[in-house]
Amino acid sequence: MNTLHVSKGYDLPLTGRPGTDLDVLPRPSRVALLPEHIPFIKPKLLVKEGDAISCGTPLFHDKRHPRVRFLSPGGGIIDAIEFGPRRVIRRVVIRLDETEAAESFQRFEEGQLRQTDRSALVEALLDGGLWPLLHALPFRDYPDPETQPPAIIVSLGDDEPFQADPAVYLAGRQDLFGYGMQVLARLAPQVFVSAPAGAGDALQAVSPWITHTVSGPYPALDPGVFLYRTRRSPADNRTWFVRGQDLLLMAGLLRDGRYPTERIVAIGGPATQRRRHAITRMGAPLKSMAETTAEASVRRVVGGVLRGFTGDADGYLGFHETALNLLPAGDQREFLAFVRPGTRKPSFSRTFLSALNRHRLPMDCNLHGELRPCVACNACMQVCPVEIMPQLTFKSLLADDIEEALAHGLLDCVECGLCSYVCPAKIELCDHFTRAKRRYHQEQTAA
Amino acid sequence: MKRLVQRFFDAQRPRFTEGGRLARLYPFFDAMETVFFAPAHTTGIGPHVRDNLDVKRFMTLVIVCLLPHLFFGMYNVGYQSLTATGRSPDFLPACLIGLKAVLPMVIVTYAVGFFWEILFAAVRRHTISEGLFVTCMLFPLTLPPTTPLWQVAMGITFGIVIGKEVFGGTGRNFLNPALTGRAFLFFAYPVRMSGDAVWTYMGGQAAVDGFSGATPLALAAAAEGQEVVHTVLNQAGYDLWTLFLGRYAGSIGATSTLLCLVGAVALIAMGIASYRTIVGGVLGMLATGALLNLFAGPGTSPWLALNPVYHLVMGGAAFGLAYMATDPVSSPDMESARWLYGFLIGVLTVLIRVFNPAFPEGVMLAILFMNVFAPLLDHFIIKARLKRRMANT
Ligand code: SF4
Ligand code: SF4
Repeated sequence: MNTLHVSKGYDLPLTGRPGTDLDVLPRPSRVALLPEHIPFIKPKLLVKEGDAISCGTPLFHDKRHPRVRFLSPGGGIIDAIEFGPRRVIRRVVIRLDETEAAESFQRFEEGQLRQTDRSALVEALLDGGLWPLLHALPFRDYPDPETQPPAIIVSLGDDEPFQADPAVYLAGRQDLFGYGMQVLARLAPQVFVSAPAGAGDALQAVSPWITHTVSGPYPALDPGVFLYRTRRSPADNRTWFVRGQDLLLMAGLLRDGRYPTERIVAIGGPATQRRRHAITRMGAPLKSMAETTAEASVRRVVGGVLRGFTGDADGYLGFHETALNLLPAGDQREFLAFVRPGTRKPSFSRTFLSALNRHRLPMDCNLHGELRPCVACNACMQVCPVEIMPQLTFKSLLADDIEEALAHGLLDCVECGLCSYVCPAKIELCDHFTRAKRRYHQEQTAA
Repeated sequence: MKRLVQRFFDAQRPRFTEGGRLARLYPFFDAMETVFFAPAHTTGIGPHVRDNLDVKRFMTLVIVCLLPHLFFGMYNVGYQSLTATGRSPDFLPACLIGLKAVLPMVIVTYAVGFFWEILFAAVRRHTISEGLFVTCMLFPLTLPPTTPLWQVAMGITFGIVIGKEVFGGTGRNFLNPALTGRAFLFFAYPVRMSGDAVWTYMGGQAAVDGFSGATPLALAAAAEGQEVVHTVLNQAGYDLWTLFLGRYAGSIGATSTLLCLVGAVALIAMGIASYRTIVGGVLGMLATGALLNLFAGPGTSPWLALNPVYHLVMGGAAFGLAYMATDPVSSPDMESARWLYGFLIGVLTVLIRVFNPAFPEGVMLAILFMNVFAPLLDHFIIKARLKRRMANT
């Protein structure tokens, strides 16, 4: 087992880590799929409101690769198809019925995996709607099914505040995990499994598969950071990755021949009352998942607090997300904020007395300032885990000089959000990079 | 208090917003309101939480570090004035005289500075950057206490308009605006800005007999061949300790090396100023001073023999290093380039002092000169850094 230490990055001193206790949530009456939050895809609907569907019926496919389809996470009736501005499909809501019919898919005996054709597994994943759980670096789009990666990284654990703990979602599932590893071995010549260092006994059961233990501040466990630190040649940049919990879904599909929908979700954040893990299902409604503290207004972040999206009170989990974090909205004005000593105001800088406060602190969604020109404080450069110089890369993007931005390592950006987090000028660095990467990817694939 | 302020701003808001008579001046309203109330803006896109530090606090902390210079400067101006005119230099009268001499300069600087900033902010439709508050605090502190107010206005105008706005405003300027303004006055009004008379505020009183008003820099530059420069300084009352504490005639806020040291330590501790620039600068001055000592001998300029430590405590070198050279916008972006940048500022400061006695205040030119070269230093370091990077396209 190799060890990897990542020194750059930053752990937000945020309260609200979910405990490792596991609740079972009651079966919801509706589930949904949110095409809007699946990056890059151009969905084409295959169903209409009122259609009766089973768990595993295709709801839409991606016009870019019609073989890539997204299946219904439940059986029942299409309750609503909601559109946003410019006819973006926001969500497809399914009203579950009692019986929930399910489609069946091809099964692979564990013993046969070794002899199975790679293409048969690819077809099965495409049919079973779980191909998009694979991601191709550097853009994090799902990989083109026609291609082969130099390697696949399985990342166990995500140190973004707050994501599901691998010790919780792997508990008792080592067989399934082992099955998944055999599948991946057929898909790529090399498979890496990265796990947090110091997880100790918690990951004992899967330790034979772990190839690297990774230590360091957020986002050390990100597969992009892993690649940045371990790549040997530019060809490695096209490595794929899959998240630990998603690998379990893929393994479940191929082993059991049913569309798996079980999700273990981390429920945390400073405005959540009972912070814990919960078993629920893909696309479950947020409503009854978490109780808020006494906060006046609360933001529901689906995913981690740095990369997640804002969900409405009556929203749903997405296809990829396995966390719900509640944060105080922070929409109040603060009197004479800039002169306060700030013992409870967390900051990457040392400009508040909180620099001496070792405790984790609550944070809210206030921007804590206004957009300003860059003051060259270099904080963004200090936190960037992949040694991009964000302020300079940003300037090249402003000047529309994509070549220079690429030379600066734009594609290595893991979209961790730390640079935006620390910036005192409140420049949306990470968002600029993410969008520039997306544009570049779209141009590349269109060409 | 909070309620009252809130009500005041709420009442004024309609005038400054869309359709109000003063809508063009919204940046001014915004700047004033956000001094009191941090805005309620929340994150629109991820990351959903943000650091508490903003530019306002960043700049406020610099101002807090500058305030002791302002207060000590006022006292010192009064003290020098009283001794020069043969009166007893008691604390309170000294403070009052200093207040009378300095406060108008500060007020004029801020008024004129704000005027330009609001004008450009209104035309360009952006908000006022808090860097202005720092520029306007720095600028008067670098001036001789006798500078007429119209020159103060000219200087800050030049600094802000030419030093900053023509390059596109805060963040895009490559020269330090306060220093640009200061240098402008120095070159445009050489008589008013140099010579021995300008450094002591007389307040309409006559000087006592034998008063020269010469600053340590002027004395050191004027020392004759055989004189030992330290003796000259000591005889004039400028021993190392006095110079370090700063109770001598000079720019209003730049004389006290002690306060510069305290301020620099505070800024470094808070991570606002780059210790690389400051330490590099100190090393540059000491190294150059020591090197020049080797060439000292009969017949050479007395400056060559000066103990290098004197360079640090005389004139505005320490002030320049602590507050001007560290301006991050006009410094190189790369941390490693800042070592060299600081070091070269130190070297140039001493060289200018020694070899061009017409400009005894070498630090000002040294910093502006290095401001111009900062992008070049960056360029090489960035190039080397990008070369090591594995391509990903
Ligand atoms: S540039 Fe990218 S990788 Fe670096 S800190 Fe910003 S978001 Fe993270
Ligand atoms: S953190 Fe923001 S202000 Fe600081 S250097 Fe980076 S972009 Fe500029």
